[in-house]
Amino acid sequence: MGLYKTPGIVLRSMDLGEKDKLVTLMTEKFGKIKCVAKSARRMKSRFGASLEPLSYVHILYFGKEYQTLYQLNQADIRKSFQHIRENLDKLYRGLYFVELIDSLVTEGHPEPQLFDLLLEGLETLQEGNDLEPLCRLFELRIMAGLGYTPRLDLCISCKLDPGPGELGFSFLRKGVLCGPCTRKYQPETRITPGTLNTLRRMLSIEIRNSSRLKFPRGMEEEIGAITRRMVLAHLGRELRTYAFIKNMALV
Amino acid sequence: MKRPAAVTELLEELKRLPGIGPKTAERLSFFLMRGSEDQARRLAQAIIHIKEKIVLCSQCHSITDKDPCEICSDPNRDRSTLCVVEEPHDVYIFENMGHFKGQYHVLMGVISPLDGVGPPDLTIDDLKRRVEQNNLKEVILATNPDMEGESTALYIAKLLKPYNVKISRIARGLPVGGDIEFADSVTLQKSLEGRMEL
Repeated sequence: MGLYKTPGIVLRSMDLGEKDKLVTLMTEKFGKIKCVAKSARRMKSRFGASLEPLSYVHILYFGKEYQTLYQLNQADIRKSFQHIRENLDKLYRGLYFVELIDSLVTEGHPEPQLFDLLLEGLETLQEGNDLEPLCRLFELRIMAGLGYTPRLDLCISCKLDPGPGELGFSFLRKGVLCGPCTRKYQPETRITPGTLNTLRRMLSIEIRNSSRLKFPRGMEEEIGAITRRMVLAHLGRELRTYAFIKNMALV
Repeated sequence: MKRPAAVTELLEELKRLPGIGPKTAERLSFFLMRGSEDQARRLAQAIIHIKEKIVLCSQCHSITDKDPCEICSDPNRDRSTLCVVEEPHDVYIFENMGHFKGQYHVLMGVISPLDGVGPPDLTIDDLKRRVEQNNLKEVILATNPDMEGESTALYIAKLLKPYNVKISRIARGLPVGGDIEFADSVTLQKSLEGRMEL
């Protein structure tokens, strides 16, 4: 039996039995974990609002090493991201971030860089107003964090500079194709050199500086199609929260 | 020794009920076996009756044995105030309190993006229709103070904004009998925001 202390972000919180909750957290030290929070649904529970999704908390939990379900002992709120919760546009994007992490990260494997990415993503979402560039940046960076950084400096086929003109992007081979290789291999998507430059910039820019990314009209859709399809190609399914982001714009 | 088939069948059915594990199911099945046949029949009949006689009220979507329900058809209730709740059992919790004299609207759930539950899965369209057709003065959003409940309340408030109706949210903060020492920062913040002049 071990007692573990770590900062973490609540990804999901589900009712369990009559009074308990099953909480999924992305922790800084131990990666994604699942914990049972006893009596968390009671009105006077010691956990209070700390187990709500998106909360950045400091937790104390115990259990045997390498088991899949731990028992949560304590959770103290560091940041509640209350401002995100009070704005539906921001809330659905925040939930999209946590669903991305929950779907793509395997349990029990420390991923401090992905924890930092999520925390920085939520902090930027709380403060900022340019939500679409932030979402695209988060999609690209989570894939890079998982080891699927797309090759953008050279053509993935002939290994030469992609050069000007119409280019291609292959989700299967995760990278850009130069003009001649695009005509030869007919990849899934065509991109412009401007989009390629923006994608290159997105790999190096800090998440907190996402507001500096300005997508010209038309390029926003092109970049969105690439970053989102990279996630889709890896996951093999659409994320549930994505539909909410789209439908919210209609209300 | 193997259990008789009838006992196994009963155990399996009891185990499907929420909060009932193998031990509780066994205790309940032995209690029923020891009891009289009449008692078992009454229990079986009561279970069949709730499936045969209980319907959802066509106006408020609460459970009832006649449509419209007792609350919706009561002329003495305040028809200008509507309390929006998540589940049918929330209506009974409010009714047990005895202070609310308006009518209800049951959403039959909450918007939950992580579970893929959206507005079309709930009775939000019916709520909008009720607001359009009735001369309502106030809509009280009484969903749970958790992430799903709050976001559902925000969504409904946004949806009903164009109508000339007051939209209010139930107070959030410290529970009666609670202790400030053990309150978390969000609960404390909400209690300060919702403070009242005495």
